Amino acid sequence: MSQIVFDAVRHGYRTKGRAEMVALSDVNLTVEQGEFVSLLGPSGCGKSTLLYLLGGFVPLQSGRILMEGKPVTGPGPDRGVVFQNFALFPWKTVRQNIAYGLERQGLTAQARTERVQQFIDMVQLRGFEDSFPSQLSGGMRQRVAIARTLAVDPRVLLMDEPFGALDAQTREIMHEELLAIMRRTPMTTIFVTHDVREAVYLSDRVAVMSSRPGRIKEVVTIDLGPRTGPDIMKSAKFNEYVEYLWSQVKTDAVKAMQ
Amino acid sequence: MARLISFFEATGSLFAILLLWYLATRYGTLSEFLLPSPASVLARIADDTASGDLPTSLLLTLRTAGLGFAIAALAGTTLGIAMARIRLVHWFFDPLISLGFPMPKIAFLPVFLLWLGPTAASQITIVAVSAIFPVVVAAFSGAEGVEKTQLWSARSLGASRHGLLWQIVLPAITPQLFTGLQIALPVALVTTIVAEMLTGSDGIGGIMLGAMRFADSAGVFAYIIVIAIAGTLVFRGMERLRARLLRWHPEQSH
Repeated sequence: MSQIVFDAVRHGYRTKGRAEMVALSDVNLTVEQGEFVSLLGPSGCGKSTLLYLLGGFVPLQSGRILMEGKPVTGPGPDRGVVFQNFALFPWKTVRQNIAYGLERQGLTAQARTERVQQFIDMVQLRGFEDSFPSQLSGGMRQRVAIARTLAVDPRVLLMDEPFGALDAQTREIMHEELLAIMRRTPMTTIFVTHDVREAVYLSDRVAVMSSRPGRIKEVVTIDLGPRTGPDIMKSAKFNEYVEYLWSQVKTDAVKAMQ
Repeated sequence: MARLISFFEATGSLFAILLLWYLATRYGTLSEFLLPSPASVLARIADDTASGDLPTSLLLTLRTAGLGFAIAALAGTTLGIAMARIRLVHWFFDPLISLGFPMPKIAFLPVFLLWLGPTAASQITIVAVSAIFPVVVAAFSGAEGVEKTQLWSARSLGASRHGLLWQIVLPAITPQLFTGLQIALPVALVTTIVAEMLTGSDGIGGIMLGAMRFADSAGVFAYIIVIAIAGTLVFRGMERLRARLLRWHPEQSH
């Protein structure tokens, strides 16, 4: 049984006095346990909407979404989410942010403290435990968000353009950190992005989406073996994937700009 | 030394006024009736403090203002958040808030006096009614602006729908809420003084009006100074509280 199933998902938005805008039309996709799948497409192709539907944040209008065989009915700790804008709680310190989900689980104070420290170490934020998010850089903020999400031990990880707000250098560092985390604790991940190279570098499979209405055009398996470091981006195979996917995305990206 | 200099930098104009006041009463042609000297006003403050009259009326005024303000803060926050989250509440209250916000609420004092008589209750009511508007508006716009990704994150981390209100919405709106509360606080004090003047209370406003009727200029000026100082202290306390609660906010980094 596939861990995640999108079955004939359709989603539209209604604005007053206007015809319905179809964001997603007949989306079908299955994701297996442990897979890293990117949703790649231009802005407005509905890739984030698809993620929000799986997250249970936006109610499903038509079709089915199954998480480990059960229909999604709302948000839950089995599906951890990381957003582009970090969505940290700015009034809480790093430590308190990471502890938030654990408090909801009713862990003992001691178990909580240990687990928080473990995840602070994992994202290399030792020394910043008592800082507020406003005192951290963008990359550090996103590391807090990732730690906060992973600390509650979700079954799958949903990432909505998580590195889109970071500068190019920080983004590359975060790619390596994410891959390192995945090596240590493999987890099913759905990763929304419009960055072709990022998608190829991180994913086992890339689902290319087209816009108006959003649907999945093609699913490409990325066969690059284990990611040993950024050198892989210099390989011919890597660049073939990038070029092919870019050609698939380009027509829609141009259309989206008009 | 540096502290002393910065103290005079911040308060120099007040001392200048005090000096002018002194010179005007010492060498000017103004009678003690039109403008009592600083010395006689200070003596009056000392006398009334010693007799206990001043502390009693000050406490009465602060109690009325404080209770009215507290009601406005609690009810205003609740209503503002409810308006942001419940469509029916918004539909009902939005026009009322728009209508009431610019209106001089003190116009309702006769109504409350008719209903409740010249009591503490009618004073507290008019204070709460006056002060509630900036709180509602601040809480509403704050709650409307809470990022949905913050709410979603909390939900996916295991928060219940009910928990969102206390754990996310309330702390998230604290900066805006304090802006509203800092507008509401002086409004509450002003309304208290005016209500006391109009209802003949034993608070500062009532005492001042009584002093005026007996042509007791020193009394009038004494109580003006007392309420000015009390108002400043209360407002400062509020700023302290804000800085403490909003340590996390980038604006508070000073």
